[in-house]
Parts: sequence; structure tokens; C-alpha cells
Amino acid sequence: MTTTIVLQQAINGIVLGSLYVLVALGLTLIYGVLVQINFAHADFVTLGAFAAYFFMHLVGLGYIPSIAVALIVGAAMGWLINASIFTPLRRKNNELLPLIATIGVSVMMQNLMLAWFGPIPYAFETEFSRHVIRFAGIFVSWQNVIIIVVSALTIALLYVFMKFTFLGKALRAVSQDRETAGLMGINPNFLIMLTFVIASALAGMGGAMLAPVLVLTPFAGTSVIVKAFAIVIIGGFGNVEGTILAGLIVGLIESYTTQFLNPGLIDIVVFALLLLMLAIRPTGLISERREENV
Amino acid sequence: MTRTLRTLCTSVAAIGLLTIGAVAQAQDKTIKIGALFPMSGPGSYFGTQDKQGVELALEQINQTGVNGYKFAVHYEDSACSPLPATQAAKRLIEQFKPDVIIGEECSDATLAVMPIVEQAKVPLLNAGSSSIKITQPGNPWTFRIMPNEVMQGINLAENAYRRMNARRAVLLFENTNAGIGNAQVFKENFTRLGGKVLAEIGFGRDVNDFTAIATRVAGLGEVDVIPTYTLEGQGLKITQALAQAGVTKGGGGNAIQIGTIWLPFGFEQKAGKAALGYIRIVQFDPTDARPVARNFVSAFKAKYNTEPTHLNAHAYDQIMLIADVVKRGGKDPETIREGLAATKNYSGVTGSVEFDKNNQNVKMDTIHYMETKPDMSWVSLKWN
Amino acid sequence: MSETVFAQQWLGKATSSRARFLGYLTAVAVIVTLPLVFNDTYWRTNLTVCAINVLLAIGLDFILGYAGQLNLGHSAFYGLGAYVSTLLIVKLAVPFWLAFVAGVAFAGLAGTFLSLFAVRLRGHYLAIASLGFAVIVHQILLNWISLTQGPLGIYGIAPPPALVVDGTVIADFRNLTAFFYLVAGFALLSFLLLSQLVRSPVGETLTAIREDEVSAASLGINAAAWKVFAFGVGSAIAGAAGCFYASFVGTLVPDAFFITEAFNILAMVIVGGMGTLIGPVFGAVLLTILPEVLRGLGDLRLVVYGAALTFVVLFIPGGMAQAANAVGERLWRRRSA
Repeated sequence: MTTTIVLQQAINGIVLGSLYVLVALGLTLIYGVLVQINFAHADFVTLGAFAAYFFMHLVGLGYIPSIAVALIVGAAMGWLINASIFTPLRRKNNELLPLIATIGVSVMMQNLMLAWFGPIPYAFETEFSRHVIRFAGIFVSWQNVIIIVVSALTIALLYVFMKFTFLGKALRAVSQDRETAGLMGINPNFLIMLTFVIASALAGMGGAMLAPVLVLTPFAGTSVIVKAFAIVIIGGFGNVEGTILAGLIVGLIESYTTQFLNPGLIDIVVFALLLLMLAIRPTGLISERREENV
Repeated sequence: MTRTLRTLCTSVAAIGLLTIGAVAQAQDKTIKIGALFPMSGPGSYFGTQDKQGVELALEQINQTGVNGYKFAVHYEDSACSPLPATQAAKRLIEQFKPDVIIGEECSDATLAVMPIVEQAKVPLLNAGSSSIKITQPGNPWTFRIMPNEVMQGINLAENAYRRMNARRAVLLFENTNAGIGNAQVFKENFTRLGGKVLAEIGFGRDVNDFTAIATRVAGLGEVDVIPTYTLEGQGLKITQALAQAGVTKGGGGNAIQIGTIWLPFGFEQKAGKAALGYIRIVQFDPTDARPVARNFVSAFKAKYNTEPTHLNAHAYDQIMLIADVVKRGGKDPETIREGLAATKNYSGVTGSVEFDKNNQNVKMDTIHYMETKPDMSWVSLKWN
Repeated sequence: MSETVFAQQWLGKATSSRARFLGYLTAVAVIVTLPLVFNDTYWRTNLTVCAINVLLAIGLDFILGYAGQLNLGHSAFYGLGAYVSTLLIVKLAVPFWLAFVAGVAFAGLAGTFLSLFAVRLRGHYLAIASLGFAVIVHQILLNWISLTQGPLGIYGIAPPPALVVDGTVIADFRNLTAFFYLVAGFALLSFLLLSQLVRSPVGETLTAIREDEVSAASLGINAAAWKVFAFGVGSAIAGAAGCFYASFVGTLVPDAFFITEAFNILAMVIVGGMGTLIGPVFGAVLLTILPEVLRGLGDLRLVVYGAALTFVVLFIPGGMAQAANAVGERLWRRRSA
């Protein structure tokens, strides 16, 4: 009985963790390259969720194509925010300006979505939501299986891209040292744009994956963003492997805190871990060899 | 795009209406109603639906007027939070000079506004806040239509114990004023009767996935009832997760979810089979056969092309009760206050209204018990 | 560096002490007149909220703009000040001003400890540690129900006791004007204190550290100690703002100190002009009044507010202080031409 519960909570935690990873990866990619934070990232998640919802309900091609649509919407938002906010502000060389500007964007987006979609939660039922696999007292819905599989595939693709392709290597180079990237003969502005597009595409896709799990309102993404921040730090800012590991750990903390303590304490446990990490290992879970160029 | 245009047009129209309203105020025969609703942030869930009910009621009473009076409403966004509610209330009182105020929904905001209306001597008619503190001790200027958390909690605990023969309960509630308050009242009364509370699980409004919580409930062994205090969004997720985990009837288990006035009509259609057997208090029963309720339902459907929720009904009742007070001679804040206090057996769409010395509605026929049937329809249980 | 030119012209070294004195005299005159001009309860309430936000903004600006420490968790110290003072008053019947001092001290100490903990972390790590601290404080206020009442809230918190001298009431703080004078007066004193600090050797030291920590260290400056000191002062001022908030609103719930509040305060500092003391004062006033002025727009109010915030940062990145400075310079040039 107890082992079943422990196992079941492990599965619950991994599902949640995969979703957090999708959201947090975008934040960490942008931070790695620009040392800046896009506060509206959470609202891209929400927009992706609504894009998937309306595509599925208005076009009716089913759930899987709607994930692709959300991905494209996210990518477009990434291009837009880079072109309109981050590029003009880059010359000012102040890391707080984009943060505040994107807080403004976030307030604007939330309230526009509120005007368009209304505050009443949408029920996003996919063809997979109500099918549940049961095995030896353990249950998992097909929707959650899809979440785990698609997240794992995306993460693997991203990993291959970063490690083995020329562009990916250039991205990693630019995140470590901007001049080296210039030496590789690639326009750093293009790389930064690419980072925003990839990061926001992940957010949009994350939205489509989260939508059937989340309480879908214009404020849906906001409920995840604080945890995504924590994951990015625990994983070591800008570190992709660390973020993945940290995301899964936070998912597991959430399910086990719910089981053995109380769901109200989740944030305290997560952020206490965060402060502990900062105290004993400020470079994050997996430290990369990086020069401090502050 | 058309949506933006429409929003723009409505804003322009609204500004126009406000100007007309200002002109109308110049003539004496207007009762000015200030509305404090949360219109921004997640609390706009309430505000949007309240506004629909208010608009319908206004349309109806302004066709003929009452005792020669027309009614004008001015909305302020009180944001479901103490400081913004304070600012909104003061702005309303200073600039619109209402004869009576309706709202807020969130108990924190209502409690913060109460001293202000008392000082300004403007009556506040509340429908949606459940905290006991609003009417105990309360103040002479604040009235509440909805049964408070204690009235609902005692009733629910007794019915669970006596009629449903429940002995073991698990409490699920959001960590808010209303969630904690309601859960505590249930616990006190259920254990006093001899029932046992196996676990009290409170969660923040930012929790999205309830599989972990459902897993924990499933691990607690036999559970008879699961009193659940949360709004529609999280409520849907909880009901589905509990069914998936095989805890509730909807998922092949034995436990029955019960609850108070939190979920709208239409919840079971959204939740599907998972909601099977759910027994809950609603304050508005769309199957109510009384003419006042039938007329409301058909007028609402005609105007908005959808079934009304309890929030629509609450707001409608607030305006209609004020109209009734005006009919009985109310014409300014003081006389409206007196009129509200003197209300006897007023029959609204949510039930009857009659205030006690603390200005709390004492009529329990505003509490309707509903059970969800296998075809996702409601059946009224007539427990009150 | 152009941001500081403005401050220097008005309150910094470039100005004579007489000009500074005139500046403060003007400030006193403005504070005295404001509630007489805005004479209804709604606007007097907004004025007091402005004064509370000014306290928060100048405290954060001292930490951020002068000591160069990225503090994203200012809401924590605001909340600690509010809850510590209120709980002392409500639970232990401690007199208001004693509780006020305790709230300020507690917030200041919390800031000092956080800064001690984080002083070896740089830039964004401190930002995140402070953000994490703010989340934890909010969660503790929310979950420690037996102490703080959590989401059930504390209601009916009394305003500060009336100021009575020889049996005559000088100021009754149930009166909105008196309350505004109290908070605005305190804000002016805090401003005075901070501007003295900025112009003292302490300020020079902080500037040296902010510009280049390594060379500052080689000059024998103990950078860490000064940064901790600055953090403590800034968070103590936020604690004072919290005490005023509680007794002003009369209602205390943890959600008033959610981390979004920290971002609001940050926005006031940036919009006003970080690294000048006068800028954040105007930033705080603007961002408090703007959503109120926009109420007429109904549902589109916050859309416009968000857009305005974005455009201000995009087009006046140095904040209002820089913009005013630029306008001033242009006028000066025209006059001399």
C-alpha cells in the first residue's frame, strides 16, 4: 500500500516536473545568453494554452496539431519581444530595464487576455484526458503520458541541438563569452533573436501541454512562473542540464510535500531548498566551468 | 480584432452613458447604486458575472421605474483586496455619492470597506462574502443576503452526519479567508456530532494539478464525505483527480464530495462523469418552480443566451431588493438602510430575505441541496 | 552617469546648502498644501498611499541605486514591519510607537541578516536570494495561522494614538489629513537622512564600491560591511512603511505583501530614476496615482497602465529624473544662447 503511494506520487511529481522544465528552460536559455529575465515569459505560456484551446475547438484537428500551433504562437511572441523590448534596451546596458519593461508587457497581456477570453476558467478536454492507464494500483492518464513523452522528446532535441549542431555550439559559446561567438563568424544579434524564439516556442508549447492540467484562465501562467524562477536558480542560472534536474526535483518535492506534509507548505520547502543551495553551492546543481565576468 | 473594436465601442458607449447618468442625477428622482466588484485580476471571475445580473435587473426596473424613481449604477474595481477596495469605496462615495452600495465578493475586501460605509452613512448590501465577522459584530450599515459560513457549515455537517450517515471526512479547502473559515466550521460541528476528520488539506490558489492530493486522499482508506471549498477552476481539477484516483463515486469509489455555495450551475457539465453523486448547497436553483425564479431564468437566457449562475442571481437579487426597499419608501441612504432592516419575507430568486439584529439574512430557504445524477442533471434534495 | 547629474544639481554636492534648504522648505510647503487642495477623503487616501510608497521607493533606491545590490524582495521587509508591529499591538497590547520601533528594527535586522547571508553572492544571485526570501516570508505569514491569522486576516487595526500635549489634542490620526502629515513628514525625514548619508563619506564609499568593488577593496574599504549597512537602512525604512500601512488600512492580509508588490516598488524606482533620491519619489507618486486616474477607462485600465510602464522604460530609460534633467539642460542652453 505505502510503496504504491510512494510510486504513484513519484509519477505525479515527474509529470509536474516535466511541465515546469518546459517553462523554466526558456527562462534559463535567455538568461544564459543575455543575463536578463523576460518577466512576460509566463504570459507566453498562457497565450500558448489559449492558442491550443481555440485551435482545437475551432479547427478541430485534435490535440497534437494544436501543440504545434501553440509552439508557433510562442515563437512569434519571442521574436516580437526581442525586437520591441530587448534589442532597443540592450544599448543601455542595465539589466533591470528589460525586467521592468517586461513587467509592463505582462500586465498588458494579462489584461488584454482578460478582456478577450474572460475570467471564467475554460475546461480544456482533450481526447486523452479521460483515458486512464491502471497498473498494479497505480494510475496515470494518457494526457500525462503525452506530457512526459513530448517533454522528454523536446528536451532531447534541444540537447542534441545545443551539443552537436554548429548553431547550438555558437549559442553555448555566446552564453559563455560574447567575443568568442563573434570569432565564430556568427552575428550575435541573430543568436540572441534565435534564443528568444526557441525559449518562447518552448513556453508556448508548454502552455499547450499545461492547458489540460492547468486551471485555464488569463492568469494561468503566473501560477507557474514563481516556481520556474526557483528551478532556474536551483539548476544554476543558464545551465540546461541543471534546470532539467531541478525541474524534476521541484515536481517531486511538490507531490511528496502534498503527501507527507501539506500542499500549503510547497513553496516554503522549494524556496528553503533554493536558499540552502545558494548558501552551499551558489553555482547550481551541476556547475559548468565558467569564468565570472562581472 | 472585432473584439477590440467591440470593447472600444462599449467603452465609448459606457462613457456616453456615464455622462447621461450625470445629467440624470441632476434630476432628483434617481436612486444611485454604487457597485464594488472585483473587475481585474483573478477576482474578476466574480465581477463579470455580478455585472450581468445587475444589468438585467436594471433593464427591468428602469422600464417603468419604482415610485417615480429610476436607478443608475456606477461600477468601481475593488480588486478583491483590502487597500484597492478602500480606495474604490472612497472614490465611489466622494464622486458618485451613492444612496446604497452593493458588493464586494471577497470577505477581506468587504471587511475593509465596512468601516468606510459606516462613517459615510451609506448602506452596504452584500451577497457573496461568507466570513462570519461581517455580521458578528457587524455594523448597522452592512447587510448580508447570503447565509454566512457558520449557518452553512452547521447545516452541511448535520446533513452529512444524519442524512448521509457519514462518519469519516477529509477536508479540502483553498487557503483563503472563506476556504479556511468554512472548513473549520464543518470540522467543529462534524466532530461534535461524533464524526471524524481524517485529514485537513489546504492548498494555495496557485495549485494546478490535484493528482498528488487525490493520491493522498486515496491512501487514507475508507472516506465517506469530502467537503470541498474551492472555486470553479480548481474545483473541476479536484473532482476529476478524485475520480481518477478512484476515490469518489464518479471514479468507482464510495466517497461523496459535498460543499457549499462555491460552484456555479453548469459545473457538472464541465466536470463530466467525475461529478457523479456530488451533493452541494447552491444558493440559486435554476429548476426552482417559483415564478420569480422562472422569470429570471427566462429573461437571463433571452439576454445572454446562457444559463444563469448563482453569482448572476445574487447580483440580480441585490438590485431587486433595493428596488423593493424604494417601493416601500426608501429614497436616500438613511431611509434605504431603515427599509433594508425592516425587510420581511422578501422573495428573491435565490430565496427569501429577512434580516436579524446583526443584519444577517436568517432565511434558510436560500440554501438548496442538489445532487448530481448519472445524466449530469441536478436533483433538488429538499433538505431545508 | 547622467542620471546622477540631476540629483547633484538639486541636492548633491554641486548645490549650496542654502539651495538645499530652500528645496526642503518647498517640500514642506507642498506637503502642507496637498491635502488642502485635494480635499476629499478619496484623494487624501491616495495621498497617504503615495507617501507610503515613497518610503518604500527611496529605501529600495538606497539599496539598489547607491549600494548596487539587486534586491527583488522588498515586499518582505514591508510585510515584516506591518505584521511585527500589528501583532505586538493586537496580541501584547504594546503601545503604538513602541511597536513601530520594534517593527522598523525587525525589518532592518531581517535585511541586515539577508544581506550578510548574500554578501558573497553577486548580482543576480542576490536578486534571487531576496526574491526567495520574499516568497518564504509571504508563505510564513500565510501558513502560520496561529500567530498571524494567515488568510483569515487581522481586522480593525487602530490608527496611531492622538498626539496630546497638556490635555489638548494636537493631531488625531483618525483624521486623514493628520495621517498624511504623519507619513509624509516621516518620509521627508527619511529622505533627509538618506540624502545626508549619500553626501557623507559613507555615500562616497558606497559609490566607490558600486563603481568598482575590486579597487575599492584595494583602497582598504570594507565593501561587505557597507553594503550590509545600506541594506539594513533601506529595509528598516520599508518596515516603517509597513507599520503605517497596517494602521492606515486597518486590515492586514498576507497577500498585500506578495512578491508582485516588490516588483511594483522596483518599477517606481526605475520609472523615477534609479540612483537619484528625488526620482523614485516622483516614480512612486506617478505609479500610485496613474491606476487611479485611469479608473475612468473601466476594463482597459490595466492594459493602458501596463503599456504606459513599458513605454516609459523604453523611451525614458533613465527615468523621470533623467527626463527632467534633459528638459532642464535644454532650457538652460536656450537661456544662455
